[in-house]
Amino acid sequence: MTEIPLQKTSSGSDLLDRLKEAVKLVNQIVVGKEQQVKLAFSCLLARGHLLIEDLPGVGKTTLARALATVIGVRYQRIQFTSDLLPADILGVSIYRRDQERFEFHPGPIFSELVLADEINRATPKSQSALLEAMAEGQVTIEGVTHILPKPFFVIATQNPLDLAGTFPLPDSQLDRFLMSISLGFPEPNFERNLLTSEDRNLMLRDAQAIISPDDVLRLNEACQTIYVSEALLDYVQALLAETRNSRWFETGLSPRAGIAMLHCCKAFAFLEGREFAIPEDVKAIFPGLARHRMTVPHGMETSVEEQISGLLNQVAIP
Amino acid sequence: MFPQLGNMPIHLVSITLLPIMWRLLAEVRDWKTPPMLLRLIATAFAIAALVVTYGGLLGRRAAVSMLVLMLSLKLLETFRIRDARIVVSLSLFLCATQFLFSQGVLMIIYITACLLSALIALMYLHRKEAYEHVGEAPASGHNLFTQVAFGVRLMALALPIGLALFLLFPRWASPLWGLPEDALDARSGLSDSMTPGSIQSLFMDDSPAFRVTFEGLLPSHSELYWRGPIFWDFNGHSWQASYLNLNLIANNKPDPEQAPFRYEVQMEPTEQRWLFALDYPALTPSGTHLTVDYQLFSTRPITRLREYVMASDPDFLDSPQLGQTLRRAALELPAGFNPRTAEMMADWRKEAIRDADIVQRALMYFNQEQFHYTLNPPLLSNHTVDEFLFETRQGFCEHYASAFTVMMRMAGIPARVVTGYQGGWYNEIGAYMLVRQSDAHAWSEVWVRGSGWTRIDPTAAVAPDRVEQGAVDSLAQRRHMLDFEWLRNMRNSFDLFQHGWNNWVVAFGSDNQSRLFTNFGLDFLDSTKLVTALIAIILIISAVMFMLAPLLLRVRSSHKQDPLLRLWQKFIRKLKKAGFISHPSMGPMELAANASCQLEYKDDGISRIAELYMLCRYSKNTGNLVELAALINGFQPQPQLRGT
Repeated sequence: MTEIPLQKTSSGSDLLDRLKEAVKLVNQIVVGKEQQVKLAFSCLLARGHLLIEDLPGVGKTTLARALATVIGVRYQRIQFTSDLLPADILGVSIYRRDQERFEFHPGPIFSELVLADEINRATPKSQSALLEAMAEGQVTIEGVTHILPKPFFVIATQNPLDLAGTFPLPDSQLDRFLMSISLGFPEPNFERNLLTSEDRNLMLRDAQAIISPDDVLRLNEACQTIYVSEALLDYVQALLAETRNSRWFETGLSPRAGIAMLHCCKAFAFLEGREFAIPEDVKAIFPGLARHRMTVPHGMETSVEEQISGLLNQVAIP
Repeated sequence: MFPQLGNMPIHLVSITLLPIMWRLLAEVRDWKTPPMLLRLIATAFAIAALVVTYGGLLGRRAAVSMLVLMLSLKLLETFRIRDARIVVSLSLFLCATQFLFSQGVLMIIYITACLLSALIALMYLHRKEAYEHVGEAPASGHNLFTQVAFGVRLMALALPIGLALFLLFPRWASPLWGLPEDALDARSGLSDSMTPGSIQSLFMDDSPAFRVTFEGLLPSHSELYWRGPIFWDFNGHSWQASYLNLNLIANNKPDPEQAPFRYEVQMEPTEQRWLFALDYPALTPSGTHLTVDYQLFSTRPITRLREYVMASDPDFLDSPQLGQTLRRAALELPAGFNPRTAEMMADWRKEAIRDADIVQRALMYFNQEQFHYTLNPPLLSNHTVDEFLFETRQGFCEHYASAFTVMMRMAGIPARVVTGYQGGWYNEIGAYMLVRQSDAHAWSEVWVRGSGWTRIDPTAAVAPDRVEQGAVDSLAQRRHMLDFEWLRNMRNSFDLFQHGWNNWVVAFGSDNQSRLFTNFGLDFLDSTKLVTALIAIILIISAVMFMLAPLLLRVRSSHKQDPLLRLWQKFIRKLKKAGFISHPSMGPMELAANASCQLEYKDDGISRIAELYMLCRYSKNTGNLVELAALINGFQPQPQLRGT
């Protein structure tokens, strides 16, 4: 894809350069996954939460940690297990005898970036503890509402659903994730690079934060200024309408998903260095956006991914 | 479909409307198909009603009525797409049958609308079927307007073939479909007998009777007596033609060279045999003869628009001598009717010296006594003339003509009743005269020694306006609710279109056809050659249409008018010519990347075009359309693959 020179605004240019540098750095750690990294960043820029879904050992956690590192935010990792309790995520109130009162000990959720590792191995009760936090940026514990820091960003990883010992995420919770990406096995040359170069953990430890949490907030705002033309809206609507056609999916995308699509699309265009979104942006983010929200109708042999690419090929760009 | 209802008796109309209403209700209430037995009974009942009404199922009217009835009954079981398609196809056929009844402009417009709605219904059915087969949703975003537009385009596609068929299909001198005699039932127009009161219905009928284009001299309004059926026999109630006047041929006729009026008549079908001409016709068009009382008779009933050239000489002396047989026929009266009139006429006879005095006296009598011209006269019973002359004294042309003729005969003056049309509306724009059914008139002719048969219009003595202005305009009150003068004027003006339509389309027969080919240097084409030419032309048109159809039928969205999109489409066409097939789901940059891989073109011009297009179409500041146009117009890719 050709780079279009952005007519830079004075404050945005420096920010964009640093963003690009951050993307580059993550790409050095997670090699050969440029598209997924881009999607992960656009999800972050669109203020959405990211779900990484793949087999164990393909670099889900590495990607999540790399993202956390380059942004330079407080970062907590919660390893989800079947005996994880909501309090383990949110925090507990402990009785302080000396002060004769309960004192709230914040859980790992109180940080800018939460890595929920193997989220589908926890029970639905614990999974749903994340729900309020993800949707509203706040948690309510024992009647007291605690505001979470900004930015607040959840990266969850999950194993494919058919693996043993998993609790599939309910639809409502899946909908909280803006995007879901899948990494897949690396290409042979990148795998060779993986095998020969230094340990990823060491690389992560050495890596420097390139953008700050404040930058993230400013980037979020910058993304909202990306121009969306009528023609593009036509295309977005055509896509939404087509997902509601029963030949592709059980149910179509909701209007909320449509709004999410537009946000992602703007973020992606911003990452590409454009001031306006084009259909290619939509096509790039659409699989990540739709994958976890859709199910293939009963009796169809195809996978969700195949259905999505079929759908994208079906809808003409107006 | 609906004009056909007008052709059917009222009880058949109600039988037809019943299933339609049932089906509408069924749609609302979600009813199911009625049981088989009920449907069979309904069908049998409908056929029985038809047989009772028409005395059989043959004949044009009966057959078309049956089609209408069956079509409406079919609705009872139309719950599947297959059935619906049958209904739509049948209604297409029904549309065609309507031309057996009328070929006017309004009918064409109506039929076109019918065809259009049938086409749209078919399109809808096809889409629905596609949906059920493939599970594909009916194409969304198709509103009524685009559907209508699509239907119109489909019809436009068929137009060239229709035109070829119209121009080239061999014409026979007689109608292609031989109508059985029983099909020729009464139409509006004059009939072959006259009972005072019978023309009355004609006054309500504003449909055209015939149109006349004059060459040169235009007769004055009071000269416009269009001669039609002439009646000699009176049975006390009604007037009829006699054997004599129908079968004797005129001995001599006016010299056409001397005739001051020359004109061409274009006559609407009457399914009767007489033609109309001004007094006295000097020509006999082919297939006609002139009777002894100067009626023009056609050998065949007029079932199609008939055109003939005519010349008339009003000063012609009709029968200076009257033979005994004819004289007797012109004096005959049934015995025992109208004694009071007979008495009065006997008195007049005694007082008069010449026949002309009696004629004058009768006219004076009508003029000075309290006679009224009205379209709603009281009914007359047994002694019609007595009652009319001495009691009711209200009537219109028929009453006066009938009474006058009887009076003359009682006085021993040979007399006969002439019916036809009087007057006409001159269309300034089209320069032709339109005579409507409401111009129907009846008058008398008396034979006076020295001047032969002389036209006497007793109505003119009562209501001179009738002759000067026409029957409708001479009335003080309206004939019916919608009878406004401006409406009549509008209708008269609209008749111009009908006239043109008749001239150019309906009257296009074998003569015009061969004349057309003469213009192209083809002297004569027989049917075989015509059909060969026709098939060849249809094949050519079909081939062209087949190639053009995808282009013409493409459902365009409103965006297609956008010059930017037109440019982009042009670019894509150029790429296609060079060998790169794009897909509608490709974005501009994607397309450019793919195309650049496949095609060799200088300085990544393809990407440059795609970038500009992208800027124009998706960015906030509208980009440089002119530059894009220049780039795309100058874009000449080599049809060459990079790999080879």
